[in-house]
Amino acid sequence: MTGSPQWLSMETRVKPAVFDYHRPDNIEEACALLAEYGADARVLSGGQSLVPLMNMRILSPAVLIDINRCRDLAYLREEGAAIACGALTRQSEAETSDLVASRLPLMSIAMPHVGVRASRNFGTVCGSLAHADPLAELPSVASALDARFVIASSRGRREVTADEFFVSALTNCLEPDEMLAEVKMPAIAEGAGCAFHEIANRAHGFAVAGVAACVEFGPDGRCSRARLSAMGAGDTTARLSPVEALIEGQRLDDALIRAAGAEAAVVADPAGDVHADAAYRAEAIGSLVRKVLRQMQGAAVER
Amino acid sequence: MKAIEDFTLIGKTVLRREDSYLMRGKAQFLDDLPEPKGLIHLAFVLSPYACADILSVDASAAKALPGVIDVLTGKDLVGDIKTFAPVIEIEGYRDVRRPVVAVDRVNFVGEYVAVILAESPYVAQDALDLVEVDYDPLPAVAGIEEAEAAGAPVIHSHLGDNHIFRAAFETEDFDARFAEGDLVLEEEFRNGKTAGGMIEPRGCMAWPDPVATNFTLWTPTQIPHIVRTAIADHLDIPESVLRVVAPAVGGGFGTKAHVFPDELIVVALARRYGRAVKWVQDRRESLLTNMHARGHILHIKVSVKQDGTLCGVYLNLKTNCGAYPNHPYSPTLEATGCARMLPGPYRFQTYRYDVSSLITNTCPTGAKRGTGQPSAFLAIEGMMDRIGRRLGIDPAEVRRRNTVRPEEFPYVNVVGVRYDTGSYLPSLERGLEMIGYDAFRAAQPKDRLVNGKYRGIGICNYTEVSGTGAPGWRVRGFAKMPGFDSSRVVVEPDGKITVYVSQADAGQGHYTTFAQIAADRLGVACEDVTVVEGDTSKTPYGTGTFASRGSVVGGGTVIRCSEKVGVKIRRIAGYMLDADPERLVLKDGRVADPEDAGRSLSLREVAETAYSMNNLGLPQGEEHGLEATDYYDPPMVTMANGTHVVQVAVDPEDGRVEIERYAVVHDCGRVINPRIVEGQVHGATVQGIGEALMEEIVYDADGQHLNANLLDYLMPTAMDVPELELDHIETPSIDTVGGIKGAAEGGLTGAVPAIANAVGDALSGLGVNITRVPLRPSSVFEQIRRACTEKEGRA
Ligand SMILES: Cc1cc2nc3c(=O)[nH]c(=O)nc-3n(C[C@H](O)[C@H](O)[C@H](O)COP(=O)(O)OP(=O)(O)OC[C@H]3O[C@@H](n4cnc5c(N)ncnc54)[C@H](O)[C@@H]3O)c2cc1C
Repeated sequence: MTGSPQWLSMETRVKPAVFDYHRPDNIEEACALLAEYGADARVLSGGQSLVPLMNMRILSPAVLIDINRCRDLAYLREEGAAIACGALTRQSEAETSDLVASRLPLMSIAMPHVGVRASRNFGTVCGSLAHADPLAELPSVASALDARFVIASSRGRREVTADEFFVSALTNCLEPDEMLAEVKMPAIAEGAGCAFHEIANRAHGFAVAGVAACVEFGPDGRCSRARLSAMGAGDTTARLSPVEALIEGQRLDDALIRAAGAEAAVVADPAGDVHADAAYRAEAIGSLVRKVLRQMQGAAVER
Repeated sequence: MKAIEDFTLIGKTVLRREDSYLMRGKAQFLDDLPEPKGLIHLAFVLSPYACADILSVDASAAKALPGVIDVLTGKDLVGDIKTFAPVIEIEGYRDVRRPVVAVDRVNFVGEYVAVILAESPYVAQDALDLVEVDYDPLPAVAGIEEAEAAGAPVIHSHLGDNHIFRAAFETEDFDARFAEGDLVLEEEFRNGKTAGGMIEPRGCMAWPDPVATNFTLWTPTQIPHIVRTAIADHLDIPESVLRVVAPAVGGGFGTKAHVFPDELIVVALARRYGRAVKWVQDRRESLLTNMHARGHILHIKVSVKQDGTLCGVYLNLKTNCGAYPNHPYSPTLEATGCARMLPGPYRFQTYRYDVSSLITNTCPTGAKRGTGQPSAFLAIEGMMDRIGRRLGIDPAEVRRRNTVRPEEFPYVNVVGVRYDTGSYLPSLERGLEMIGYDAFRAAQPKDRLVNGKYRGIGICNYTEVSGTGAPGWRVRGFAKMPGFDSSRVVVEPDGKITVYVSQADAGQGHYTTFAQIAADRLGVACEDVTVVEGDTSKTPYGTGTFASRGSVVGGGTVIRCSEKVGVKIRRIAGYMLDADPERLVLKDGRVADPEDAGRSLSLREVAETAYSMNNLGLPQGEEHGLEATDYYDPPMVTMANGTHVVQVAVDPEDGRVEIERYAVVHDCGRVINPRIVEGQVHGATVQGIGEALMEEIVYDADGQHLNANLLDYLMPTAMDVPELELDHIETPSIDTVGGIKGAAEGGLTGAVPAIANAVGDALSGLGVNITRVPLRPSSVFEQIRRACTEKEGRA
């Protein structure tokens, strides 16, 4: 004879270690909480990186400060010659924004490579920047755009460049009581070209290497200003300054593009992992530099 | 061919009834089941070392945590559960048993070291970090070559070395016959270790019945009856008191066709504590501890005539067993399987193989969709291309010249496997036609460079072992693998039908196909049939669902069983209608006498008579009830077949492989439900694309598993899948009931070699030799670079 079990309803389950949870309504409250909890706290924005890390118990913050109710941080607006993107702007909002498409085309073309639609619906632009993954697309985009990072705390505000913001893999320059409030990206200049390409082992998810580029041309068709940033080239997103120096003031002909690719492979200082070894990453960055510059050649000719 | 011409529903696309709950998220997977009161939650402490002595386990801090019930080590469980091992009776196999939780020594990263029992899963997780284990790390071996090297640490000392299995086979006069060829080609192929990659990780829950001394185990398994037998055996409990239930299963792919230590542990602990016990693994555990597959080294030598025909084949295959043999198959599954399946659609009759499996300090390996076949065809199909290149014969033509011809069926291959029917040549021709092969070849430049990319075509002609019966398992030493499957078909008192099948669905659509079959045979609507499976207390004993046996053996037994019930229906109806039962026809839910047009009975009327629910009574000697039971043991194997033809472009700048065209021709004999078959072909092909281009479990030299998460273990997503052009050929088996052959694995088997061959063809002008999958951009690029450097060196 068989009885039947006495069923219990399922309780809600979570996997991370125990934490305290705060949900401020605006940036002042968020900063006040950060001032109170400092290094014990983590800002939760889209949660697309933080939550998996907590579930795997790789991170166990004692306090979470959830900024998803801070409506004052959800904006994407034109401010003079720059576009300001608040900390609560979702990646999908930037992806579909006309303002971004027309004034920050580099971000528009790179965004479809950032995870999948579902992760972009939650993930924020600033969250990806704050996370500082050397293989993430948006830090390279911000770096190639010469973005300014607006940092807030209850002590006030300060601005830093991408070079200052990205310190090393998964490490930014924020002090324990600070948060990233906004990123300001200069709009594309008249007659400039931009391109983004990456190489991955599969179509979805993180890439092996990538290059974001923004190049301006003078009336003579020569490259007047070049900004190239590589992902996977080191432990942070890295500007390829020697490559920029090589092409500024020059015409983008095939020989120069080949030289730029070779230079990029030399300056890149990538690491190896299960996805690709360091030598391949360097070559891949070289080939990506050639690819973006060849595309830019088109932009220069078109004018 | 035994044509059953009167099929009405078999062969029709019927929408999958399970989709209505699967697609709406309403399926009840293990972790969705309501939980019994007083449930104990388990978490396992996993070994961080590939090989180490366990010096001590200090669980005092964990035990002190509120909500922790107990922490048990391997020693604590020795009395509850016997050491775990499959039963394999074949020469060359050596027994290795494992404690379900390690006792003195751990042998792979992820092996269970202790088990935490807690009042909630949350507490169990917290307690994991509090158990302190003192290890003495020892040198580990992760790879096959390291394991067989002289002086390698011996992982299981009683073996003396790291070989767990060796087997050899040789046809008569092998050496002399092999020497008859004009030339010998030789190659070594390798594939990466991969995982089954099902979306639902494993877990299980055991519940001791307080009324009787019975246990129910819910476990997402493909083999509920075999799980029950194994647990009863290792726990010393009667099979009659254990019920094994497979709830909705979120993908199995062979991984869930094993018996796992945790299944024994939850039942043993339910018995020890008299409480329900549950454990659910996470993705990391899933990738660390569930069975891995492949990781083979195939050394192949072929002897050929100038015209490209094979005189003989020699295979030396080495497989990585992992730290322990899997249950119930042991590593012989892939080793012998691969060697025996390698002849494929080809006619050669001279063959020798030497296979061996090596113990290493890695996760055990076992069954995964395709088992030995993706490896076997990587080798033999790779050689077809090499023969063509060497002799200047088109690789498709080389295949034609070696393929079993239509008039040769039934054909017995070189290892004695009977191919009853098949469409080997028609399938090849159709595949070539679909891709426009001749035109492509005619336009293909010698260096294969078109618009900056190297373009090539790859072919894989494959056979697919399916529906293995008892003789097929016995010949390979599987002493406890039944081979048969069974069903019970019941016409209920209201005339509706319940079909109980000994199998367990993991998403294949059994609830639809088996309903279709029974409805077809009993002349009722599909909706009038309910299918029940995956529950040892409800269905008769059987082997389960793996190795493409669901429709061959499950479908076969449902056909037979339905026809058995049909006989009784006709007998009773004949009595009621006063007609000869033989001439009665089951159609549209009625039993009709075609010779007496007006006269018929509804199935319900017949059932009411059978169940004594009217005053009519039964014919003399007839028993009440309206049901039948059937045990169907199919032939040794039945062979499906097919052809994949793939066109790729390789970018020399970064090594990326892009699939430009993909054609699949597929023959699984009698098709039951075309849509479901297409789904199986698609799914398997996509898994093959994964194995060919990206998937690989990576262990470092110390046996550390480097990618036990889905960020780093890459499986293809929809974004990686090209348009698949599909065509079917239907060549029913003459050996199986209903002419059915298996359909679930060939896609994977065809994809891996076809893609590898396409890349090999594209890069042949550069002199690149493709011998290893996965073909990630970095490895392809490196091979291109090396070939170019060598060329320059020669120039
Ligand atoms: C399936 C999947 C695929 C993905 N693929 C990619 C990919 O291909 N490329 C890619 O770049 N990313 C990928 N991601 C990561 C994704 O882009 C994340 O959205 C992003 O990295 C983090 O943004 P978030 O808003 O979700 O931040 P969260 O996860 O909430 O936070 C990430 C980190 O940043 C901190 N942080 C967040 N906001 C702030 C702030 N305003 N100030 C200070 N600190 C802050 C958090 O404390 C945390 O440490 C993927 C994610 C998933 C789930």
